[in-house]
Amino acid sequence: MRISRWWALVLLGIPLAFLTAFFLVPFGVMVMASLQTPEGAWTLANYARAFGDFYYWETLLLTFRISLWVTLVAFLIGYPLAYYITYIVQSRTIRRLLYVVIVTPLFTSNIVRSFGWMILLGRRGLVNNVLVGFGLIERPVSLLNSELSIVIGLSYIMTPFMVLTIAAVLQNIDRSLEHAARDLGANRAVTFARVTFPLSLPGVVAGSLIVFTLSVSAYVTPSILSGGKETVMSMLIFQQYAVIFNLQFGATLAVALLVTTLLLIAGYLFVVERQSRGARRVA
Amino acid sequence: MTSFGERLSRAALTGFCWIAILYLLLPLLIIVAVSFTTTAYLKFPPDGFTLKWYAQFLRDPTYVEAIWISALIAVGATLLALLLGVPAALVLARRSFPGQQALSALFLSPLILPTIVIGVAILQFAASLGFARTWPAMLVGHTVLVLPYIVRTTLASLAGFERTLEEAALDLGASNLSTFFLVTLSLIKPGVIAGALFAVIISWINVELSIFNTTAHLMTIPVKLFNYVQYSVDPMIAAVSAATIYVAIAVVFLLDRAVGLDKVTTSS
Repeated sequence: MRISRWWALVLLGIPLAFLTAFFLVPFGVMVMASLQTPEGAWTLANYARAFGDFYYWETLLLTFRISLWVTLVAFLIGYPLAYYITYIVQSRTIRRLLYVVIVTPLFTSNIVRSFGWMILLGRRGLVNNVLVGFGLIERPVSLLNSELSIVIGLSYIMTPFMVLTIAAVLQNIDRSLEHAARDLGANRAVTFARVTFPLSLPGVVAGSLIVFTLSVSAYVTPSILSGGKETVMSMLIFQQYAVIFNLQFGATLAVALLVTTLLLIAGYLFVVERQSRGARRVA
Repeated sequence: MTSFGERLSRAALTGFCWIAILYLLLPLLIIVAVSFTTTAYLKFPPDGFTLKWYAQFLRDPTYVEAIWISALIAVGATLLALLLGVPAALVLARRSFPGQQALSALFLSPLILPTIVIGVAILQFAASLGFARTWPAMLVGHTVLVLPYIVRTTLASLAGFERTLEEAALDLGASNLSTFFLVTLSLIKPGVIAGALFAVIISWINVELSIFNTTAHLMTIPVKLFNYVQYSVDPMIAAVSAATIYVAIAVVFLLDRAVGLDKVTTSS
C-alpha cells in the first residue's frame, strides 16, 4: 500500500491536531499558569515560594527517596523473575501462565492493589500475624502509614513493569554468544556476569526509568498507604488544585516535579552512557 | 554437564521466583477472600461464605452508574484513539520526512508525562474554555492517555511486516484502500487488538487523570473506590474491588487467547 502525500497529510494531520489541542496546549496553559498570579499578572513569585520553603525541598527529597527504593526493590525482584521466565522455563504453557500472573496485577487498579496491602499490613493483618507467629516480634507493630508501607505498596505495583521490560530484552539476546562463552570454558555464573547481564542492561535501564518516573508521579498508592502521615509531591499538587484551589501554585509544583525528574533522568542516562562507552573501550 | 553448584543455584532461583509469583498474587487473593466474609468488618481468613456484599453494591445505583460511566469512557476513548492512532502510525511507519523521529516521540510522550500532570493540564485548559468537568473533557483526557499504547503497538507490528504481500495485492489490481483493509489491517490486527485492550484497561483503572475531572454525577468507578477507601473500609469495598479483579482476569485471558501474552508483552 502506498500513501500519497495528500493522504499522509490528512492521516497524520488530524491526530497531530488532536494531540496539539488536547495535550500540548493544555500543557502550555499549565506552564503559563505557574508563571502567573491568581489575577493573571506575570510573576516568578510561585517559584520563589516553592524553592524558598524548606518544606517543599523535604517533600521533593522524600518523593525521590521513595522512588529510588522502589526502583531498587523492583529490580531485585524483577530481574530474577524475568531471567527465570525467559531462560529457565521451558514449557510455553507455564511461561504464558506466568505472564498472566504478572500482567493481571498490572490490569487491576492501584487502589485495589494498595487496598490489598492495607489488609496485609494492618495491625491484625497477615504480615503481623506471621511475624508474631514466628516469634520475630513480640506484639504487632504498626507497618501502615509510613515511608516503609509506601515503598512496599509501590514496589509491588512496579515489579510487573520491571519484569516485562527486562524479559523483552533477555528474550532477544543472541544465545550463540552465551554458548560461545560456555564452550570457551566459562561456567554459568561467569557467563551470566560477563555476557548475559551486560547485554541485558538496556532492559534494566529502560525498566528502571519507567519504574522511577511512575513512582515519582504516583498519587493513589502513597495517599492510601500513608494514611495522611507522609506527604509526597503528587499529594501536594493535588491539594493545591482540589483543596486550596491555588491553580497557579499547583502548576508550579507540577512543573518543578517534572523538571527535577527530567534532570535526574538525564543525569542517569549520562552516567549509563559514559559507563558503557568505558566498557566498550576496555573490551 | 551441570555441576552441583549450578543445580543448587538454579533451585534457589526457582524457589525465589515462585515466592515472587506468590507475592504478586497475594494482595489480589486476599481481597477476593475477604469479599466473601460474613463478618461486618474485613477479616482474613474470612468467616463463612456470603455473596451479600456483592448484592449490596449491585443494588446501589451509584456504583452501577459509575461502572457504566467508566466502561463508556474506556471504550469511547479507545475507539477515538484507534481512529487517530492507527492512521498516524501508518504514516509514521511508511513515509519518511523531516521531523519524523520527533513526531513519533510526540505521539508517545503522554506515556512519560506524569498522569497527574496530564489531568491537571486538561482541567486547567477545559476550565479556561468553559467545559471543565464534563464528558468531553473526560473523553479527550482519556484519549490522550491511551493514544500512545495504540501508536506503539501498531508501530511495532508495522515494523516486522512483509511488504511483499501488499505489493502482490497492488500488482493484482487491488486499490490502495482495499489493500489496506484486506491485507495490511489483517496483518497488523493482533498488534492493534493488543494495543486496544491495553488502552481499555489503562483508562478503566485510571484515577490520577479522572480525579481532577469528575463531579458527583460524572464519577468513574476507580475514583469512587478511591474516595471511599480513604475514609472507611468494609467488606462491600472488598467486593467492588474483587469485581474489578475479575474484569482484569477476563481481559488478560482474552488478550492471551487473541495474541499470546508472551508475544504481546515482550514485543513492545
